[in-house]
Amino acid sequence: MTESLGQFEQIVLTAILALEQNAYGVTIHAKVEELSRPKKAARGAVYATLDRMEDKGLISSWLSEPTKERGGRSRRHYRIEKSGEKALRESAKTAQRLIETIAQTLGGVAWKPR
Amino acid sequence: MEAALNAPPEWLERIVLLAIPPAARESVAGDLWEACQDPRQYAAEALRTVPFVILSQMRRNLNPPTLMLQGMLIFLGMGGPATLLLLPLLMVRDAYRPISRPSPRRAIRVAVLLSSGAMVLLFLFMSIHPPFPVRGGVDSFTWLSLFLAALFLSPFLCLFRAGLIMQGDRRKPLTAGTLSKDALAQAYERFLRGSFCRNVLEGVALAFAAISGFFFAWDALLVGLFVLAAIYLLLDSLPGMPAALDFVSLRAQYQRELVRQEQLHRFLRWLWFAPVLVALHNRLAGPAAANSLIALLNCVAVAILCFLVAALNHEHGGRVQEEIGDLDRVRESF
Repeated sequence: MTESLGQFEQIVLTAILALEQNAYGVTIHAKVEELSRPKKAARGAVYATLDRMEDKGLISSWLSEPTKERGGRSRRHYRIEKSGEKALRESAKTAQRLIETIAQTLGGVAWKPR
Repeated sequence: MEAALNAPPEWLERIVLLAIPPAARESVAGDLWEACQDPRQYAAEALRTVPFVILSQMRRNLNPPTLMLQGMLIFLGMGGPATLLLLPLLMVRDAYRPISRPSPRRAIRVAVLLSSGAMVLLFLFMSIHPPFPVRGGVDSFTWLSLFLAALFLSPFLCLFRAGLIMQGDRRKPLTAGTLSKDALAQAYERFLRGSFCRNVLEGVALAFAAISGFFFAWDALLVGLFVLAAIYLLLDSLPGMPAALDFVSLRAQYQRELVRQEQLHRFLRWLWFAPVLVALHNRLAGPAAANSLIALLNCVAVAILCFLVAALNHEHGGRVQEEIGDLDRVRESF
């Protein structure tokens, strides 16, 4: 059965998907802030969501080599797994249906989410 | 991406490092450093971030069966208020579980401290109730035996701890930096097979223990726990070898299974000692406790048993954490 995702989980998964090879704490947080505008996203909430999704098997992570600009510490890189991709597709389909229904009700094809 | 304009002050970073649970320390501290613009922003960001990280680690390391068993033992020994106070502390302590085995020096120090504590208690007791002339039904031979037992307690505990350390040292590290996908798959398969055999054997042993517990009039709750644990272990089907996973996904699955097995065995280690702890508690609550020497010895025995379980859990848990860390850093070789 496909895992159902919360809204914040969808945003974080989308951020990881969009960042491809460069998905780690700092970049994911920046992307999540961009995607959830105008709302702010706490860095800690991003970590908690990443941990939770990793435990569910939706994403996987590993440590990179330590780098100087991080005080000699490694980055934890994330990658979306097959089950995560599937869950995100399901969420996207639901979102698409929502947009279509709202568009039909509120203003035909001219309506666009702001 | 936020640029690192300034490195945080060393003292501030040290405080933040202490506050971040070890499992997330490397990546979270690095991210905070990378996003650091000035000390004030760094401190504010750390203050906003660290509580989430602690809660997340508490959730990740939460082992409900172990916590319930520990809660039951604390409740039996110390009552409700102590249970309410100690359980959240145990959860926070779990969030700060180290990601490596305890250092040998620290491990031995704990063993020496515990045995010295037991000896001091015994000598204090002896000074209040001197062995000569014989008092309270305790003869000089018993006193001498107790004295010798206390003297040998320290080497025994140190030897036990040293044995665990040496057993851990014999473990071959999974790799030195790189590993092929096939080698990883083989290591995972070996681990699955080993876990399966171990779980079946332990399940059978638990079932036998439950049956004998039934005849020796153990607490019904304990017998029930043993039966449930045996059924779980015998029915627990380990995940089969995945057919078409790439290196990263296979590694993630291996790590998840390592954590699952460790959580399970942490609970089982406490469960094996639970009947003795409950029996000691019953003696402490019974008429025998009127003899203060017996009460004292029971308390010392409880402390030693808790030390043994904790030592086993620290050593094995640390080894699993080290293995997870090794896997985190391993690169695929082609």
